[in-house]
Formats: sequence, structure tokens, C-alpha cells
Amino acid sequence: MPDSHTSMFSAAVLAVILAAALVVCGCTQPQEGGPQAHGQRIESLSITGSTTVLPVAQAAADAYMNTRGDVDIRVSGGGSSVGIQSVGEGTADIGMSSRDLKSEEKARYPGLVATVIGNDGIAVIVHPSNSVGPLSLDQVKGVYQGSFTNWKELGGPDLEIVVVGRDSASGTREFFHEKVMQKEDFVRTQLEKNSNGAVKQTVMQTPGAIGYVGLGYVDATTRAIPIMVSGSPVEPSVEHVLSGKYPIARPLLMVTKGEASGPAKEYLAFLTGPSGQAILVEEGFVPLA
Amino acid sequence: MTVPEMSTGVFRHGGMARAKERIIGLLWFACAIFSVAVILFILAFLLYDGFPIFVQANLLEMLTGTVWNPTGTPPLYGLLPLIAGTLLVMAGAMAMAVPLGIGSAIYISELAPARVKAIAKPAIELLAGIPSVVYGFFGLIVLTDWIRVTFGVPTGESWLAGSILLGIMSLPTIISVSEDAITSVPREFREGSLALGATRWQTISRVVVPSAVSGITAAVILGMGRAIGETMAVLMVTGNAAIIPDPLWNVLSPVRTLTGTLGIEMGEVAIGSTHYHALFGVAVVLLVITLMVNLTATFVLARIRQQNAPKALSCRPRRTLDAERGSVSSRLAPVRPYFLIAIISLLGLPVAGVPGYVGVALAAYCLLRLKEKITPRLAQKVAFALLLGATLAVIAILAIILSDIVIKGLPGLTWEFLTESPRNLGRAGGIFPALVGTLYLVAGAIAIALPLGIGAAISLTEYTREGKLTRAIRTGTDLLNGTPSIVFGLFGFSFLVLSLGFGVSLIAGQVTLALMVLPTIIRTTEEALKNVPHALREGSLALGATRWQTISRVVIPPAVPGIITGAILSIGRAAGETAPILFTAAVFSQRFLPASLFDPVMALPYHLYILATNVPGADTNKYATALVLLILVVLIYSVAILIRIKSHKT
Repeated sequence: MPDSHTSMFSAAVLAVILAAALVVCGCTQPQEGGPQAHGQRIESLSITGSTTVLPVAQAAADAYMNTRGDVDIRVSGGGSSVGIQSVGEGTADIGMSSRDLKSEEKARYPGLVATVIGNDGIAVIVHPSNSVGPLSLDQVKGVYQGSFTNWKELGGPDLEIVVVGRDSASGTREFFHEKVMQKEDFVRTQLEKNSNGAVKQTVMQTPGAIGYVGLGYVDATTRAIPIMVSGSPVEPSVEHVLSGKYPIARPLLMVTKGEASGPAKEYLAFLTGPSGQAILVEEGFVPLA
Repeated sequence: MTVPEMSTGVFRHGGMARAKERIIGLLWFACAIFSVAVILFILAFLLYDGFPIFVQANLLEMLTGTVWNPTGTPPLYGLLPLIAGTLLVMAGAMAMAVPLGIGSAIYISELAPARVKAIAKPAIELLAGIPSVVYGFFGLIVLTDWIRVTFGVPTGESWLAGSILLGIMSLPTIISVSEDAITSVPREFREGSLALGATRWQTISRVVVPSAVSGITAAVILGMGRAIGETMAVLMVTGNAAIIPDPLWNVLSPVRTLTGTLGIEMGEVAIGSTHYHALFGVAVVLLVITLMVNLTATFVLARIRQQNAPKALSCRPRRTLDAERGSVSSRLAPVRPYFLIAIISLLGLPVAGVPGYVGVALAAYCLLRLKEKITPRLAQKVAFALLLGATLAVIAILAIILSDIVIKGLPGLTWEFLTESPRNLGRAGGIFPALVGTLYLVAGAIAIALPLGIGAAISLTEYTREGKLTRAIRTGTDLLNGTPSIVFGLFGFSFLVLSLGFGVSLIAGQVTLALMVLPTIIRTTEEALKNVPHALREGSLALGATRWQTISRVVIPPAVPGIITGAILSIGRAAGETAPILFTAAVFSQRFLPASLFDPVMALPYHLYILATNVPGADTNKYATALVLLILVVLIYSVAILIRIKSHKT
């Protein structure tokens, strides 16, 4: 009877798919008492938020966990507001933010405390083949406003300028908007990217492009333009940000609900301490003064 | 479970059996209602959070405003450029994917030798498994650069890039589902037509394709849903400048879609701010657009069915007679010339861009005007060449993308990479926890969605009469299908993670992914069940079997291959999606595997997304991660495809 054979087989197939799915799920059923290692209770710490701060938080977490076997730190991204809200709602222990708390957030979650863990210099980058010289902040502003549309107007090659920026919710853009644009509007044809990596990717393969990224993203694939400050060019570098010469830099924040305590406090102490700051520098950020 | 009962082969009757029948029916009905409930719930959630902006900024002004500048002074929330961007990108994607997809489906199911078919079908399903992040990066690195150089424009990030990428992404859905629909057209139809002296092309174009039109339309709707809803890939290649192309047909202008706006702005916006509410407003508008697209599609589908009903469904023999009597040229259905033109014109696109497309389209149109002079033999030759061309184009696209990933990913693929935890932000070490996390997420999502989806489909096709209720349920399902994955992510974050207090957790991710794949499973299962001839059901019922006995032993078994296809597509999609788990389940790193459903997990697509966008200098591991994700999906697919082949043979 071939028919019943087929139906049995089909049913078996469906049953196997379901069973397999359930078994894999079943493996993750809650276990009594949470994760254990060497019979020791593991404390877990969840960190979420800004993807700009994520690399530092992760690298510091790795280093910290190497010294402490009983802590499990989980780092995730999502954005500054996800971090702030998660901490406010109590679903994460620490929120990472690349911008200050907004008034709405302060009103909604009054108990939040922000700790500065380092600084981030913002470099203006162009394609490596672009020969344009140092630019003043006014010129950069002009480019982002759309008053300059060709690099030759700035002493560069005869090439149409492609303006690349961050999305309007980005902490980096907000900072750039205040510091460089003096709150004036960006040109509407600006290409908008949601991460440093994406801005860099576009700039490195578009000869006419200009973009801005964190210092950690500057390497030979793009050219960082020195900024003219009172008549002399200043290269974007950690030391120039530290000395206050380089004009475009902002603080990086970690947010907790109330003053940090327990593992969160220890982790923040590690991050702002000498080893944590060394990691921060390694990731291309600027340490606390 | 049903297995032991089925093997007994005894039909029972009586009070108990009747109660059981009713309970089973109700159970499936509950599954069907569930998908409508979910969509209403999501809609309510979005409206609740989006409402303040419609009050504050005046809905009409928002819809007609041409400037989106939420951080300006004063902030402007004009949605027109975003809506235009969404519609233009989707239209472009469909112009490319529909002819290519249907052409390939026809070629694979009707013309390809068995051996080619055995390879081509799974290969195309495989395209669906490539994660959208990978498409995005492939698009950003290879495609936009190609457009920039080819068309001599300052930047290749444009409407065209978005449309090409979305077209590629919706191809596997369109091909797989259309191919199933075409293959399930009964053999007798073809034999009857051929026996009457029609050519193969006449048989295909006038008997086979019209009979499969409902399945093909379903395929296009599914593909469209994928195109509207895609976030990650689109925001990487369209440039995201909130402008309306000037002139409107300037495919090289950067554009910004509604999903792209959500994707790039949602993560950083301050919760509770006006900008936040504006983004929920964007999500509401997005849902309304998907609703309108789906309703239009449903309407068109109903019209097609009506038109075809007397000819294609009840009196098919007459259609084949027609095919014999008239020459193919004089009786071409009104739609088909445009379909052909669109295929041919695509060939002009890479060569000379838009003018090329228009030029070739015009030439093709002239050729079609001359069609009276074309003999059926010649028509067949041309048509077959075009179908083969479409299939080759799809395979070439697949080959380019795959070889890019394989060549760049292979050096990083070592045993340690698979079995170790990441070190130094994923630049070194491996991806073991992400691999396991993805398996957990996908398995959980399928375990939730498969029974629900199959139940809903059974209820819709077998238990309920066509009426207002089924239409409402079906519309709900279609809307859920068109709901962008990023919206599921938002919903999962605000409802599961925050309101229910799950936190960022495995279970939140599984439920979010399950909701996302549910409509795919319902749709494909429904289609598979519908293709089982009515005579089988009637025969079984006439022999005294109950409804459930008929369904479980007569209707479901032949539908299993179709159901498995749906499950395969869902697994591929769930494994590769980033947006739904971005805020709900994924962490970038953890030391231990999750010990409970309430722990967060690492996941391959999320790992890839962070490596690709936020960790400088992780190129080798980035591509190796993409490769692993691809191989993982290939393995899942191979198992499922083997099962399907086996079930065909027995």
C-alpha cells in the first residue's frame, strides 16, 4: 500500500522537524540557580547601547573577565537611546551613550547617573586620492551646508563633492551639528549612514566624498584632513584632543540607574582606571585627562 | 500526536469522535485568528506610540511635507520623500524581479532537464538564505562602486542600487513559490494541450501559466512584502538622502525609504521625544502602505481568478482547443507582451542604463507589433531563449555574490574559528557562541511558528467557507507578511522586552522571529493544501472518513513538500535577519552559552552586523562569519531538500 507508506513518511518528517526544534529549545530550559562555574555563583552584568562605545566596553569587559572568573559581562548594541531606556527600565545594568541625556529622558528616568569614561575625537575624512589641503571649520561647515559643491573651490581636484554624514538620531551627528554646523541645516542631498564603519566604507570607495568618523576609524584607507585652527593646521590625533588643540571632540558616557553598585561599580572603576584607559586608547579613543 | 493514529488506518465514528473533530477544528481556527490578533496588536502598539506626532505635527502637513529634518529648528517631519523613496525602490525591484523570477520559475519547472532542475531549484532557494547584512555589504562595496563607475556619477548610492539589491533579495521567494505553483499544475493539462498539436510554448503560455496564476500572484505578493520590508540592505546602498528624485525617473538619485529611516534613526533617538513619536508615525505610514499594496494585490488576484474562472478552471479543454485553432500571436493575453518587454529590456539596463532600458523596451514593443508575422515555432524559440536567459541571469547573480563571500571568507575559516569564543572584539578567536545562539533562535522560532502556521492554513483552506472572516484573516496574514522586520523588532523591544519584562532574551528573539516567519508558513501551506485536488477529499469523505481523518491522511501527505518549502524559506529568513533581534535578543559577546530562555544570546547575523559596521579591521572574520552563516543555511536547506526529494519518491 504505497499511499499509507507516503502518509506515514510525511507525518514522520513533520514530527521530526517539530521534535528537533523542540529539543533544541528544550536544551535552553531554565536551570535551577542560573549558570554555575566550578560550583561558584556567576554574577552577570549586562551592558547595552551606543555602538560607538561598544568596542571599548567589550574589550574592557574581556580584560576584566580575565581577571575575574565569576563575572559574565554581556555587551550589546542598538544605539544610545536603547541603552538609556534599557537602564531606565531595569532590563540592563549599564547603558552606553555617545550623547548627553536628553531632557525627555531625564524626565522619564530621573534617577539616571552618567559617568564619563573617555573622549572621542571626530575626524573629517576624504578619499585617499583627494589632494585638498587643511580646511577651517567654516569651510567644513560650508561643504556640509552645500555652499561648496566642487573640491576645486577649496583648492582640491576638479571633482564634485559627495557629502556623507550620519543619521539624524546619531549622537555623533548631533555633536557635529552643534560644534561644526552651529545648528544650521545640513544640505539635503547628504548621504546618511548609521555607523562610523558605513561612513568610512563609502568615503574610501568614493573619490569625491567627505565624511566624519571617530578617531578609531582613521587609517590609510581614508585621509583625515587637518583642521585649521587660528591659522595653523591641527591633525586629528589623540594628543591633540588631549591638549585641547583639536576642536572636534566629545565625551563618551556610561549610564547607570542611581550610583553604580556591585559588579557595575567594579567594572566602571576598572574602565576608568589605568588598564581600562589603556584599552580605550588601543581602540582609538581619547583617555580621560 | 497524529502519528500512531494514522498508522492504525481505522476510521472511527461516534460522540467522542465528533467532539474531537470539533475541538480540532476550533484549534486550527484559533491558530488562524492568532495571526489577525497579532497584526491588530502590533498596529495598536504603533498607533499608540505614533499618535502624539499626528496630533502635534498635523497629519496632512506630514504627508505632504517635502522636508524630513527632525533635528532642525523648527523640526520638520515631511514624509513625502520617504514615501516616494519606498514606492520607487519597490517598483524598481519588482520591475526587475518579477520578469526574471517568473521566467526562471517557468524555465526550471517546464523546460529544464531533470538534472538541471535538481540543482537549480535548491540553488535559488539558497539565495534566500544569504543574510540581508551580507547583501547590504556586497551592495555597498561592489554594486554601488560599479554603478558609480559605469554611469560616471559622483556616488553609486542610489535608487537603482536599492532596487537591484531588493530585486535580487526577492527573487528566491518569487521563484520558489511560482515554481511550486507551476509544477503542481496537473500533467493532464499539458498532455491534453500537446496532444491537440499546440507547441510547448503555447502550452506553457496559455495552459500552464494561467492555471498557476494564483500561486504566481502569491509569489509576487510575498516577494513584494520582502522588498517593502527590507531594512538592513536598503539603508546601506540607497544613500538615505531624504529627497525626491529630480526628475522623478532619475534612478541614479539617492533616496531614503521609510524602513531605512527607522533602521538608521531608531537606535539613537531619545525615547519619548517628538522625534521618537515621529518614527512610530513613520512605522504607521509604512504599515498603511503595505496594507494598500496587499489590498490592491488581493483585488487584482480576485479579478484574475474571475476572468480565468470560466476558461482556465472549469472548461480547460476549451482553452487548449483555442491554443490549437488560433496562431499564438493573435491571441496573446493582454499582459504578456509587457511581461516579455520587461524581460528583454533588462538586458539593456547594464549596457546603457535607463536610456538602454527604454530603448530596448521600445524596440521590443515594435517587435511585438510585428508579431502577426511570427510563427509559433519562432515565438517558441524566442520565448525559450528569454526564459533561459532569465535563469542564467539569476544564476550569474548568485555566482557573483557567492564567489565574493567564499573567496574572501575561506582564509578565515578554521576549526578554531568554529569552536572558540570571539576575542579582541571578534577580530580574533571564533564564533562558537554565535553559531549556537543562531541555532537556538531559529529552532525556537520554527517550533512556535510551524504548528501555528500550519494550523492557520488548515483552518483557512479546509474548515472555513470563503467569506468575510477568511478574507479578514487572509488580509491580516498578508499584512503581517508585509510588515517590515524592523517593525517586528520595535514591537518585540517595546512589548516583549520592556512591557512583559523579558529583558533582552532568547525567548523575546524567538517570539519576534516566529511572528516574522508566520505569514510565510501560512501562505505556502495554504497554497500547498489548495493544490490537492478536490476529488481526493470528496472520495475520502464519501468513504465515511471524518473531516480530520480526510485532512490528516489524504490532504496533508501530498502537501508536505510544499509545506516543507515554506519551512525552508522561513528557516533561511529567520537565520539571516538582523533587524528583529537587534533590540530583542542579541548581544555582541558573552562567555557562556545561554542557560535559560531569559538569557540573551549571540547570533551570527548580529555578530556580522557589528563586525561590519562598528569594528574596524575585522575584515577576515567578517567574511568568514558570512561564510559560516551561509554554510549553516546550506546545511539546513540540504537536509530539508533531501527530505523533500525523498517524500516525492516514496
